[in-house]
Amino acid sequence: MFLQQLITGISIGGIYALLATGYSLIYSLLDFSNWAHGEFAMLGAYFAIVFANMVGLPFMLAALLGVCGGALISFLCEKLVYRHIRSTGAPNMFLMIGAMGLSTIFQQVANLVFTGQYRSFKFKLPVSTIEIAGAYLGVLDLISLVLTAVILVFLIYLINKTKFGLNVRAIACNANAARVLGVRVDRSIASVFLLAGSLAGVAGILYGMKYNVFPTMGNIGLKAFVASVVGGLGSVPGAIVGSLLLGVLETFVSGYISSSLRDFFSFALLIVLLLVKPSGLFGVDVQDKA
Amino acid sequence: MKKALSLVLMIVLIVALAVPAASAADDTIKIGYIGDLSQSTALWGNAGKFGALEAIEEINAAGGVLDGKMLELVPMDGKGDSADSVNALRKLITDNGIVAEIGTNFSSCNIPMASVADELKVPIIGTAASNELVTIDEQGNLHPYSFRMCFLDAYIGTVVGTYATKDLGLMKGALFTINGDTNSEAVGQFIEEAYVANGGEFVAKEQCQAGDREFRAQLAKIKKANPDIIFVVMNDYAMNATFAKQAREMDIQCMLMGHDGWDSDQLAEEAQGALDGCQFVSRIGFAMPEANDFADKIVEKYGGTKETECLFGRDGVYWIADAITRAGSADPTAIRDALEATEVYEGLIGQLVMNAETHNPVMACEVFEFSTTEDGAHVKLPVKTVEAVVD
Repeated sequence: MFLQQLITGISIGGIYALLATGYSLIYSLLDFSNWAHGEFAMLGAYFAIVFANMVGLPFMLAALLGVCGGALISFLCEKLVYRHIRSTGAPNMFLMIGAMGLSTIFQQVANLVFTGQYRSFKFKLPVSTIEIAGAYLGVLDLISLVLTAVILVFLIYLINKTKFGLNVRAIACNANAARVLGVRVDRSIASVFLLAGSLAGVAGILYGMKYNVFPTMGNIGLKAFVASVVGGLGSVPGAIVGSLLLGVLETFVSGYISSSLRDFFSFALLIVLLLVKPSGLFGVDVQDKA
Repeated sequence: MKKALSLVLMIVLIVALAVPAASAADDTIKIGYIGDLSQSTALWGNAGKFGALEAIEEINAAGGVLDGKMLELVPMDGKGDSADSVNALRKLITDNGIVAEIGTNFSSCNIPMASVADELKVPIIGTAASNELVTIDEQGNLHPYSFRMCFLDAYIGTVVGTYATKDLGLMKGALFTINGDTNSEAVGQFIEEAYVANGGEFVAKEQCQAGDREFRAQLAKIKKANPDIIFVVMNDYAMNATFAKQAREMDIQCMLMGHDGWDSDQLAEEAQGALDGCQFVSRIGFAMPEANDFADKIVEKYGGTKETECLFGRDGVYWIADAITRAGSADPTAIRDALEATEVYEGLIGQLVMNAETHNPVMACEVFEFSTTEDGAHVKLPVKTVEAVVD
């Protein structure tokens, strides 16, 4: 039973990680929590549903367009809303309030366009499992885990080993200094929104395949945000570890204590960490962001 | 001068808007409908609305009621929320002049709506609102203007628990409910009482939270207890389908059994065969060819999927039309009296044996079983009728 709960927890944490890294990346650059990030996942999933179920494109192509859709919405939010708020010199709190507004607007728009009805992909994998030492893992979970791991490894490589990553880290450290040194700050920020939006799109499509697509599915972003705070806001590796930790904690609480207390333990962990180690498990300071 | 002109124009506008409404009010009898028309359970709310619209079209085509008066449905979105539903009811009565109302399918909405109906003296008919407090308040007093067309949580829970032991002989059970969900916890409690009273034993009891999609932590515990049957008391077809798929993925192969909350056409499709051989107990409805024909017609005309709520919407309209005819009047209090005087109502959801003292119907139940056809379609088929138990 222990192994089963562990596998389940990692599987849940994987989805959180795709979203939590997006939170962390944006926080590392702009010092605000993008509350609309969960909705990028929801919209990405709806894009894929439209292309797959209504337009009739092959599933893989529809999923790719869904990821692009999530990235596009994220990019447009930065271009049309956040950048304008930043240009006025308004405090970061305004960015967060703007994000909350966008989150609600996106949910309402999805409700109006698609209604609140659950949608599911016509493309379905058969209900089948792989047995590992007496524990069972669904085929879709396995695919989801492998895909998540590959994407996250690529993301860490991108941040640490490429010029794009160097620019992002430079802006995270000091945007003005980076600008003086020739880094195109706005362009890099827009690229990060594209990247975070596409990660959210992948998370939304995987979530939609595992369960369903519905207007409020972006609320899972709250858990991802908690995970990114636990791991250390602004740290991508921290967000990944925080997500896996939260997924496993939730599963163990549901399995060994009570599912009614699941959220109590998740948020208690958050409060305790904020009291004991406010910078999160990975303890990032300004220099180490991203 | 300008002010005077504006005032005159405003008066003309108000009169112009009011006059057609007044003349329409003379010729038509308005029936309200409240349901979730836009949120996550809009599947049911809209199905009920479409069923009611179709029934009104049929009645009007046949000449209407009270020597040619036409019926008109005034739908309003209650969003599945108690505050929105109460506001919608007030608006329908005070602004739209409805004489009776159908909906919602949620006890959490109809319990506060019952007090408003009593206060404004307009009868309301809950569809699948199964909590006792929908028609009788906490002090045991009848809400005179609140009725329902479904069985109580206690009734369906007792039927499910008894059927599992006496008919299926599955004596080692697990119970899965939603923490804090009135219907889920109440039906679960009555299943438990009936199951234990008939010799069954519960080896596991687990809960999830509303909207959860991950049940594997709880399923791992249930698997360890090795039950013969798991009672899955959830109304959300997506949650039920996911539960079934995750159970099968974890090699839990026992019977999964549900209540009328499983009665959604989407469930079989979404479960992808994970529910094959599993059963649920619900109202007769779709065991009757005429109910299936009506629901097929609704799907063809309005879209969506085949939901029991369309039968509730249809039966609600016919019951009100019948009450208006018997009362010889469209006065809300006269309609209320006629509804209360109904002894037996034959509808597409089944035969309702009404109780004037509680406003609760009693009806026979049908057991449905899921299967996958040779051509790969996932279906539910009626397998047994459980006769009504009238006190």
